[in-house]
Amino acid sequence: MNTVLVNSERCIGCKHCEIACAIEHSLSKDLFSMLSEEVISKPRIHVEVGKDLLTFPNKCRHCNPAPCMEVCPTYAISRDEKTESVLVDPAKCIACSMCAIACPFGVITFEKTYTVRRSVNVKCDNCIDRQKEGKKPACVEACKTGTLTFGDVNDLIRERRKEVTKIVTKTLKDQMNPKYL
Amino acid sequence: MLKDWKPEDKSIDKATQEMIRKAEKEGIETAWDRLKAQLPQCGYGQLGVCCRICMQGPCRIDPFGNGPQKGVCGATAETIVARNLVRAIAAGAAGHSDHGRHVVLALKETLEHGTPYPIKDEKKLKDVAKKLGVPVEGRKAEEIAKDLVEIALGDFSKQDEEIIKFADAYANKKRKEVWKKTGVAPRNIDREIVESMHRTTMGVDHDPLSLVAHGIKTSIADGWGGSLIATEFQDILFGTPKIGKGEANLGVLKEDYVNIVIHGHEPVLSEKIIEAAQDPELIELAKKYGAKGINAVGMCCTGLELLMRHGTPIAGNYLQQELAIVTGAVEAMVVDVQCIMPSLVDVARCFHTKIIDTSSLATFPGAVHVKFDEMRADEIAREIVRIAVENFPNRNKDKVQIPKGKSEAIGGFSVEAILEALGGTLKPLEEAIVSGKIRGVVGIVGCNNAKIRHNHNHIVLTDELIKNDILIIGTGCWATACAEHGIFLPEYAEKAGEGLKSVCKALGIPPALNMGSCVDCSRMLVLADLMARDLGVDISDLPLAGSAPEAMTEKAVCIGTYFVASGILTHLGIVPPTVGSVEVTKLLTKDAMNIVGGAFYIEPDPIKAAKTLIDHIESKRKALGI
Repeated sequence: MNTVLVNSERCIGCKHCEIACAIEHSLSKDLFSMLSEEVISKPRIHVEVGKDLLTFPNKCRHCNPAPCMEVCPTYAISRDEKTESVLVDPAKCIACSMCAIACPFGVITFEKTYTVRRSVNVKCDNCIDRQKEGKKPACVEACKTGTLTFGDVNDLIRERRKEVTKIVTKTLKDQMNPKYL
Repeated sequence: MLKDWKPEDKSIDKATQEMIRKAEKEGIETAWDRLKAQLPQCGYGQLGVCCRICMQGPCRIDPFGNGPQKGVCGATAETIVARNLVRAIAAGAAGHSDHGRHVVLALKETLEHGTPYPIKDEKKLKDVAKKLGVPVEGRKAEEIAKDLVEIALGDFSKQDEEIIKFADAYANKKRKEVWKKTGVAPRNIDREIVESMHRTTMGVDHDPLSLVAHGIKTSIADGWGGSLIATEFQDILFGTPKIGKGEANLGVLKEDYVNIVIHGHEPVLSEKIIEAAQDPELIELAKKYGAKGINAVGMCCTGLELLMRHGTPIAGNYLQQELAIVTGAVEAMVVDVQCIMPSLVDVARCFHTKIIDTSSLATFPGAVHVKFDEMRADEIAREIVRIAVENFPNRNKDKVQIPKGKSEAIGGFSVEAILEALGGTLKPLEEAIVSGKIRGVVGIVGCNNAKIRHNHNHIVLTDELIKNDILIIGTGCWATACAEHGIFLPEYAEKAGEGLKSVCKALGIPPALNMGSCVDCSRMLVLADLMARDLGVDISDLPLAGSAPEAMTEKAVCIGTYFVASGILTHLGIVPPTVGSVEVTKLLTKDAMNIVGGAFYIEPDPIKAAKTLIDHIESKRKALGI
């Protein structure tokens, strides 16, 4: 299963991912034209400030089973079989916000889109169009600090485990009294 | 542009593509690799809504309207964008005008201490003097020059409120009235740049309109001041360019010769190196090391200065600088100021090439430092050439690959040379415009930008416009691009529309005229001004337009602004970092037209841009009743 894994300790809050996300989901897919479109595209990834000014890029985790999907009364939310992404059909969405109530991460927002022009659930679609072209999601491509990584979840976690192991062993070594070595 | 970004997508020029391929094969990093690593670039930066002026920041305005709409101090997107723009204009004006100052000081040194820069063009000296009201009859050249130096330095230092003397002497009455009425007549070149910095520092000017107005004022101080002074004094010291032939592109490097590439902007240095490269003693030394001789060539604007005055071959424009070294055949690249990539030193490390920095303003870590001093100009130039010659035995012949691509080009179209070609007046040109054989004139200005396929916009726009009977004049990297693509040859007129073709054939000129380096954009202003005077109208009434289709530097921002300030619609092929403010964008692209008679027009597609420029020229013709 491919996913966007977040190394939040690397996030510097530059919000580069937010702009890249908005561009990708705009009509023109161009930064400069996007701001003059009739419906202005909004980011679906949110870099919020937490404790001690630390930041976390928060986006749909494409849960399985997905609570939002379970509660949607109009079956507007479905799962793409190939990528396991949780997708919204804006035409079916009635903006009842049940999904937002059920979402454990608070990443469902309601905005107008250029397709339906009324407020509907606009959450991360895992850049499914880009994935079909073999590209990484826009937010991952934009991330210059390595906070956002994309790939097979277990591969990414294995890399992360290696990093953690390096840090932990270094800490242990530093703490040991060299006299007894 | 990222996926399969092939050499053919990076440049339209075959020689350049060949060297990009060589760099890729040898694992040498170039500008395109570094751009790729930067992509996608910061959206806040591209919109111009990031403020780093005070240490409460950096602050950013959220372009989506949800997040912060003001910086810590309260500055809005409009203020931030306007301040950033004014600072860019000031930086561009500073580059050109400081260059101008150096030329004036070189002449001053000559007059006072007899440095090795004799006055080469007494006629130009007298012409400039007459324009400025300096008496010339019965006076020695040195006396006249002394007065001119004083006036020029006065434009950098006077503290009254009057318009600078050079702008006053060179711009026509109607234009000056527009400037005075709108309060943008520059008083002192340095002062306007300093005031730009003052106005934009924390807590001073916050009104986008007054900020942009001062930006315009600063740009006029450059175009009709600093840059103009640079051109005029260079002509006096080194000779006014005359029509002549030269060669352009990487293929001008020679396999059996000691190759010296002179790169940068100020001819005060390059003129002397060209002289030293002809020194028989040094040529003999080169032969001792097994070379056939010394091949000194230019690059970027200093290369254009040499091409214009001496027909010295030019190896390329901005995006070709790293690639010249990639040939493996360059013994030394001599650099001074502006548009010089710091990465040259890294590319040179892959070969035997020595980068020699010469300006006291610009030091390159990892380069050989031989700082230039006007008083010892000849001696230092010889030392630099000697370093290159002595480096010849270190060349690894297996790593040498010089692309064959080069083209002949006619250059040297100073205003004086154009007048001479037309028989002393602009009349033939004006008549051709009035009769409609030539619909109008577009001035195209320099730069390459790694974001734009190298030389693509320059060539496509030029081709499209000449096809529609529009005569092109231009400078900077545009000129080198045209030289490389054979556009500066009279036979290229075959590709022009019938009207332009007939005029070119009658005069034996190409359909696009090389007017020099980017500092020489002032030549275009002088030409436009002459035409306006002849026809008794303002520059803004003429069927003219400007374009910077591959704009990159702050200098280009400044040039574009003084074109606009001179009453010319100016096209930009790249979106400037101003779109984050609706008000500033409107000011630059619409309102400016009502205030100064010129405005910016942004269009990345050169074909669409050509159409708009043609329409604009036709509307100006209609208004003039021609």
